[in-house]
Amino acid sequence: MTLINHDPNSPLFWQGELPVTNRYTYGLAGEKFFRTLKEESKILGTYCPHCDHTYVPAAIFCERCLAKLDEWVDVGTRGEVDTYTILYVNLDGSPSETPQIIAFIRFGDGGLIHLLGEIDPEEIDFGMTVQAVFKPLTERIGSILDIVYFKPA
Amino acid sequence: MTAKIKEFPGTSLNEQDFSNGKILYNFDKLNGVYSWDTGIGIGAYLASLKNGVILGSHCKTCRKIVVPPRIICEWCFRPMDEFVPLKDTGTVITYSLCYVTWDVQRITDPEIPAVIDIDGASPMHGIMHMLGEIEPQEVKIGLRVQAVWKSAKERQGSITDILYFKPVKEN
Repeated sequence: MTLINHDPNSPLFWQGELPVTNRYTYGLAGEKFFRTLKEESKILGTYCPHCDHTYVPAAIFCERCLAKLDEWVDVGTRGEVDTYTILYVNLDGSPSETPQIIAFIRFGDGGLIHLLGEIDPEEIDFGMTVQAVFKPLTERIGSILDIVYFKPA
Repeated sequence: MTAKIKEFPGTSLNEQDFSNGKILYNFDKLNGVYSWDTGIGIGAYLASLKNGVILGSHCKTCRKIVVPPRIICEWCFRPMDEFVPLKDTGTVITYSLCYVTWDVQRITDPEIPAVIDIDGASPMHGIMHMLGEIEPQEVKIGLRVQAVWKSAKERQGSITDILYFKPVKEN
């Protein structure tokens, strides 16, 4: 007799969960970027005079000349839709009833990836101006989601 | 710090900096749910743990009894012949005193994981489990131990159906 037959009363699999959590700190420039976003509703960038380049979100050093950046610029809360995509599927793979619109919104020489709201998918144009919609001050936690979405300006 | 370097560059943080809002951060939880195929051998092992029995498997060719049970003999690579129920007593082969938990917390009373040679299995064939009801300084290699089981109602077909192994007095 060999043991090749599986006993129907014994389990086929073992289920578990790996308890893995993490905290990501934003770094020197990120800390100031998110702190200002949270407390003053401003989107900050940093400017490199040598390369004539404005980094959004703010960076602590220039990626081109590696110089330290300390010229902070408020780039306002209006940006341009650079590109976008429409999502019909949720994170867990289930179909979503209302499609989400994710866009790259240009600020300075950089920009933010965020959601578009208060807009029909058919109405989106490349280059259209959109305006950040913030959460109420009391609900903000210092995350990019302190901006709820961007709406047509 | 070293003799040359008195202070490392960077921003040092402690737990208070996170809790009192001095530093902003993003918290994330990995979706670490997994499902592991037990196969026939370990499936039978877990099912018998639920019934309060440690199961091994026997190869007649090699005259080996291994625990946990496998369906293929590791010596002759042929299918093993039968499952055999083993005793829930055994001998400590090796052990460790752990003053640090799995998530790196210091503890004063050590956890004592040990490899236990199960009675009925071939010599030096055993399972890893915890020791309990014993002072750390009393643990010795060769110590006779017995499994302490959860009640039949609480057992769910897991290696933790055995709470720990405790020392036994031999007559």
